[in-house]
Amino acid sequence: MLKQVALSFLNFYQKFLTVLGFGSCRFYPTCSEYAKWQVEKNNFFKAIWFTALRILRCNQLFDGGIDYPVIKMKRNLCKIALCNENKNSFIVKFWLVPKNRDYYYVIKSFQKD
Amino acid sequence: MLDNMTQQQRMVLALVLSFIFFIAYDFFLKPQPQAIIDQNKSVQTSQVVQHNNKAAPAPAMSTAAPVEQKQQTTVAPTIVSSNSQIITTVNAKDFRLSIDALGRISSYEVMNEKFKSEDGSYPNLVSPLFALKPLEVRFKDVTLNGEAFQKAYTTDSVEVTLDGGPQTVILKQALSTTEVTKKITFYENGTYDIDLSLTTPQDYFVSPGARPDIEADMYTFKGALIQKADGTIETIEDGDAEGNEVFMGASILSANDKYYTTALYDFEDRFNIFVSKDHEDRALGFIKGTQNISIHGYMGAKEYDKLNTIDERLTNIIEYGFFTFLAKPVFLFLKYIYSILGNWGWSIVAITLIIRFVLYPLTYKGMVSMNKLKELAPKIKEIQKQYKGEPQKMNAKMMELYKKHNANPMGGCLPMLMQIPVFFAIYRVLLNSIELKHAEWILWYDDLSVMDPYYVLPILMGASMFWQQKITPTNFTDPMQEKIMKFLPVIFTFFFMTFPAGLTLYWFVNNLFSVAQQYYVNAIFDKARAAKEQAAS
Repeated sequence: MLKQVALSFLNFYQKFLTVLGFGSCRFYPTCSEYAKWQVEKNNFFKAIWFTALRILRCNQLFDGGIDYPVIKMKRNLCKIALCNENKNSFIVKFWLVPKNRDYYYVIKSFQKD
Repeated sequence: MLDNMTQQQRMVLALVLSFIFFIAYDFFLKPQPQAIIDQNKSVQTSQVVQHNNKAAPAPAMSTAAPVEQKQQTTVAPTIVSSNSQIITTVNAKDFRLSIDALGRISSYEVMNEKFKSEDGSYPNLVSPLFALKPLEVRFKDVTLNGEAFQKAYTTDSVEVTLDGGPQTVILKQALSTTEVTKKITFYENGTYDIDLSLTTPQDYFVSPGARPDIEADMYTFKGALIQKADGTIETIEDGDAEGNEVFMGASILSANDKYYTTALYDFEDRFNIFVSKDHEDRALGFIKGTQNISIHGYMGAKEYDKLNTIDERLTNIIEYGFFTFLAKPVFLFLKYIYSILGNWGWSIVAITLIIRFVLYPLTYKGMVSMNKLKELAPKIKEIQKQYKGEPQKMNAKMMELYKKHNANPMGGCLPMLMQIPVFFAIYRVLLNSIELKHAEWILWYDDLSVMDPYYVLPILMGASMFWQQKITPTNFTDPMQEKIMKFLPVIFTFFFMTFPAGLTLYWFVNNLFSVAQQYYVNAIFDKARAAKEQAAS
């Protein structure tokens, strides 16, 4: 529920409000995109926390550049992707790239939405 | 239908819809108090008189009784016709007030040339439209209450003039079971002390009165403001009163419109507040007593310096809404600059310049890397061409390139988001501060707290925004966004038309400074580059 609200707000923000900032984000993925990935793949409150930290980092005192969300997860990957209903033709939305034990980078696959 | 439209068409539709919204909002929802008062003047006054003749009920003390409250209003015995008669008047340099036969302040004029209305009259803080008057006493006991609204007070002085020192007025009302004594000491700065005493104890309530009704609009707070026992501020906006709110150990009870207040306060001996409501759910605040209470009161404009000299804590009455924590420092800073420059318009220009100056190291760093990027321009073009229509991928590639050359032209989300609260803070300061009423600038700008009558500033603002966009390099990945951005100056121009001129001035000057800064940095770089080339050759 919270997740849906947050996601629809972020979508609205990306569609209509980002122009106010003239596309000013110093990172890839942009702060709003980062927030979306966090909300989708992380605990809601953690997502808010990490997004806030990211926004605080998004100024000229930091280098910017590539900064993927990192999530913590026990090794139970089946739950995440493979156990989709039709195993043969699922669509990959996110790649979880292991960072170190129990931590993963969240990387969204390139595709047209 | 929407699916068949091109993006441009959709955007135009969105624009048109939002304009319609704003126009309709202005037209239907904005209050037009003047017109209403004029139309209903005769009706209203007769109603008020009737209202006054009724014994108004005391607020519900226990949560069990609030519903019955309304019916009690019907206890309307025939009353001494002289109850609206003035028994005492108090004259001072800055105000003129009168007390009616029910021992209430029935009019309070602030005698300040600056606050005069267009027809030349001084603002009267006691609105004839509201029944509850300042220092009105209501008893919990219904019969006693009925009696109290019939019996006239006696006074020890008919006319009091304050020049050099406070003056005391003693009002007495003899009721069947008790005698009420109101000893009021008036000071020249608009404050007063009130000592209320009863010969035999009775549960009663005393009020700072209904809120002033001189200027009230949609955008600023009007209603009751209470400082609670823990020092936090609670506001009850008109229309939101439940009528059974209770605040124990409070230190301020005030009723405010945009610029004026009527307040009772005591920071040492706290009091208990009971809130009742009128037929339009406006909060009516009362302080409860049983025998003796002594409290302080203030009526007048919410001027910061004035409240600050009375008691620093009293400045909490000035409220700027959600952004108070930011708006108050902004106001104090602006006031400080004003004390040097002596003009609010130039003070706004100065504050913009100062904010720019503080942020200069940040923006400079951004502009430096932006200039670095000029040399990378062909590579960027290549990426844009290669990944056309795949914004996510293009962004990623772009970041890779920036990283490789250790340059990042973007300002960042934080500076952008920080603008928003500052903007709102200035907006609220302009709307709320009586100091900025009739704040002059140059030419025809004689009041920066209202909109520009000739739309010159909004248009200049739009133009400066367009100029700024022209010289600021951006990399848009989404053509739709790019189009919206190009329209932004137009949208903003319309948007700012109804905003206070001071706010438009702030935004305009802010744009101008960023344009100037951009040109300045560009010039430095061109010079450096030229020098480098010369050295090389």
